[in-house]
Amino acid sequence: MTGLESRADMIVCQGVKKWFGDFQALRGIDMTVEEREVVVVLGPSGSGKSTLIRCINRLEVHQEGRIFVDGIELTNDLRNIEKIRSEVGMVFQQFNLFPHLTIMDNITLAPIWVRKKPRAEAEALAMELLERVGIPEQVDKYPGQLSGGQQQRVAIARALAMEPRVMLFDEPTSALDPEMIKEVLDVMKELARTGMTMIVVTHEMGFAREVADRIIFMESGEIVEEGTPEHFFTNPTEDRTKLFLSQIL
Amino acid sequence: MDEKREQLDWVAAAEVEGEKPPEVPPHGPVVWARENLFSSVGSGILTVAGLIVALGFFKGMLGYIFGADRKWDAVATNLRLYFTQAYPEDQYVRVWVAVGVAMALAGLSAAIWRANGRITGYKLGGGSFGLAGGLLTLLLLSPFSWRARLIYLLVALVFIGIGQYLRSVRPKLEVPALGVIVGTLAVLVGSLWVVPYGKHTFVDGQVQPPRPGTVAMTTKLPWTVMLLVMIVAYFVGKAVRDKVSPGLAKGLLSAGWMLLLPIDYFVILRDPALDYGQVFRVDVPIFLAFAVAGSAILWWLSSPHRGEIGRVVAGAMVIGAGVFWLAAAFGLSVRQIVRIDLVMLAVVALAAPTFAGEKAIRRKFIIGWVVILALVNYLAMMVNTPSTVDVPGSFPLGGFSLTLLVASATLMMSFPIGLILALGRTSKMPIFRLLSTTYIEVIRGVPLITILIFFKIILNLFLPDGMVLGNEMAAILGYSLFSAAYLAENVRGGLQSIRKGQYEAAAALGMSTPQTTSFIVLPQALRAVVPPLVSGVIATFKETSLLFIIGLFDFLRIGYVVVGGQTAFVGSQRENLLFVAFIYWIITFSISRSSVQLEKKLGLGER
Repeated sequence: MTGLESRADMIVCQGVKKWFGDFQALRGIDMTVEEREVVVVLGPSGSGKSTLIRCINRLEVHQEGRIFVDGIELTNDLRNIEKIRSEVGMVFQQFNLFPHLTIMDNITLAPIWVRKKPRAEAEALAMELLERVGIPEQVDKYPGQLSGGQQQRVAIARALAMEPRVMLFDEPTSALDPEMIKEVLDVMKELARTGMTMIVVTHEMGFAREVADRIIFMESGEIVEEGTPEHFFTNPTEDRTKLFLSQIL
Repeated sequence: MDEKREQLDWVAAAEVEGEKPPEVPPHGPVVWARENLFSSVGSGILTVAGLIVALGFFKGMLGYIFGADRKWDAVATNLRLYFTQAYPEDQYVRVWVAVGVAMALAGLSAAIWRANGRITGYKLGGGSFGLAGGLLTLLLLSPFSWRARLIYLLVALVFIGIGQYLRSVRPKLEVPALGVIVGTLAVLVGSLWVVPYGKHTFVDGQVQPPRPGTVAMTTKLPWTVMLLVMIVAYFVGKAVRDKVSPGLAKGLLSAGWMLLLPIDYFVILRDPALDYGQVFRVDVPIFLAFAVAGSAILWWLSSPHRGEIGRVVAGAMVIGAGVFWLAAAFGLSVRQIVRIDLVMLAVVALAAPTFAGEKAIRRKFIIGWVVILALVNYLAMMVNTPSTVDVPGSFPLGGFSLTLLVASATLMMSFPIGLILALGRTSKMPIFRLLSTTYIEVIRGVPLITILIFFKIILNLFLPDGMVLGNEMAAILGYSLFSAAYLAENVRGGLQSIRKGQYEAAAALGMSTPQTTSFIVLPQALRAVVPPLVSGVIATFKETSLLFIIGLFDFLRIGYVVVGGQTAFVGSQRENLLFVAFIYWIITFSISRSSVQLEKKLGLGER
């Protein structure tokens, strides 16, 4: 799909390095994600996939290299960070909904206080998003009353309510029971079809094959191989990729 | 009710009709006793031994309390002294107005918050049995006359009858809990008019021998009015609750509860002699100036388009207010209230960019500012006006009302201070962390009584010229600073229980640290520490009895020293102490009961 039209670079990473104490989690990542592109990051656990996308909205601070989001460089400037975070939505493995707020308040809190939207407008948008993720009837419940799959769909709606330009997914289905994975993946597929720029860290190979424009394979904090799903699943070049695929497929 | 609904939801979700649980035949008392009291030889022996100990204890206790040589007249005659000490008799209606305000708030709150708990007939029957059991214990173990025993027996039989009827005929009956509470109160108040408790009075400082009959009119009439005020307030609340927005009504009532203490004390009980010329020449213009200019500045600052310049202006205002405060300390002549207003405006201005938003939010923000400004200025004016209530000493109240006042003022002041300390100790900024940690560790290392004595002796030396704080105020201040340290540690426990994911989710949504703290972290942290906070409240209430040691006329001193020292009641100290202990117990027990309710309610959203 790439190359047919010229699209703006949404996320650019240049030589990003990150250490936790003495342990090097990222060993110089160079990566570019274009507008409306869906990138799936694969790799064994501990390979730095989550760390990479957490660096993109500064939940982790990279120590070397540069990261640009929509042309703005991530620096220690608090204003930049808050601006970038409100442009970048994130969905977590553990959902991280706010347990003391209703579903409606979970979704509208940030639009009202960060985006400064009128409450009525924020609530209308929240209802629209809940329709989209298929659970409008749960709007007045608390997160604890919902199933895991429903909670994750609310978390997606909450991130979308900020009208982000990029969505980051950090293993969104890993904490779910098998029968609930599909409902979340379906929402993500629909989101991809609408042209959202997405970076997805996942172990769902079916999803990667079907939805991804590009697959990035990471191991030990490095990008080992990247390419289209077709190339990646049928004709990988690197030995480490072949080993990984043989273990999980 | 909610549990039931949840279960139904769950069944609906499963979409399976399961089998019904097996019917359990109702347990008779014999079965219950065999299962719980005599399940084995060992437990049977323990049950019997325990019963003997309990019987012996209660017999001794009741024999003491109702013994012929107990001087309960000392308590009965001195009730007014116990509760308000020397508050002048001709002004006493003020005390009832102060209580009445609280009663009205209680009635309104019950209506607005829709207190709709229900008690089943089965439970009510159990309560009735309990009462009957208590009465039977009383009449069996106490040294009563046979006539009194007969009356008690008849009443107990009535309760047993009611209990039996409710349990076997109407177990599914549902009565509103509110009705039961008000009904009980009505019976108690009604009994004042009917039951011959006896008349105990002072005339010109002389104790009169107790006369038979119902209690004095000055007791039964006000209490009846209080009950009626509460009931009328409830129905008023019920009538208006559907016509006003629930958010507004709840907000106003919460503000009312917060203001109850200062309004009751400074405005109603102290009866300040206002100089209206001064009020209209100085106080009102100062308020208007700050209201208008402050609103304009805040409106400008809270615009969502203001951006960085807003924070700079707010920061400059904080520095300005601080400089102004210092300048006043070094001799710039300016009214205290101007300095206070300026600091308040600066703090609110600092919050404005964080909580900026669209028009509705900005309007609320401005209204909040004007309301708070009005209250602070009004109260400051009242505080600075001399009291016209003529009492010995500097403080119009003593006894139970002083205890209650000190406890509530301490709780209200220590809560915000404790919150700030807890946030400071967990903050990322080293200077705040250092200050809070030092404060908490120093205060927690010093006994409360030391702090109270210290504040009593030292505080006035630190105050600006011409300002004198009474011992009572000094005690409140010292006690607040003391409890704040403990409260901070409790809240810190709650803050640490918040999972990292909550912070990350808030950060990922672009929320700033103050927003995350006020909307995400604090609400959850406070919920998590309700049990230790309630223990703190109970401890604070009970430990006000230390005021006794620094010479204040608190509840304990009135009972032990004042009433015990009256020539008419020489040797009544034991009775007085028992009474004091009983009242302390009633209050703390009700606090701990209501906290159970609170925990249940707050647990609702969690699960």
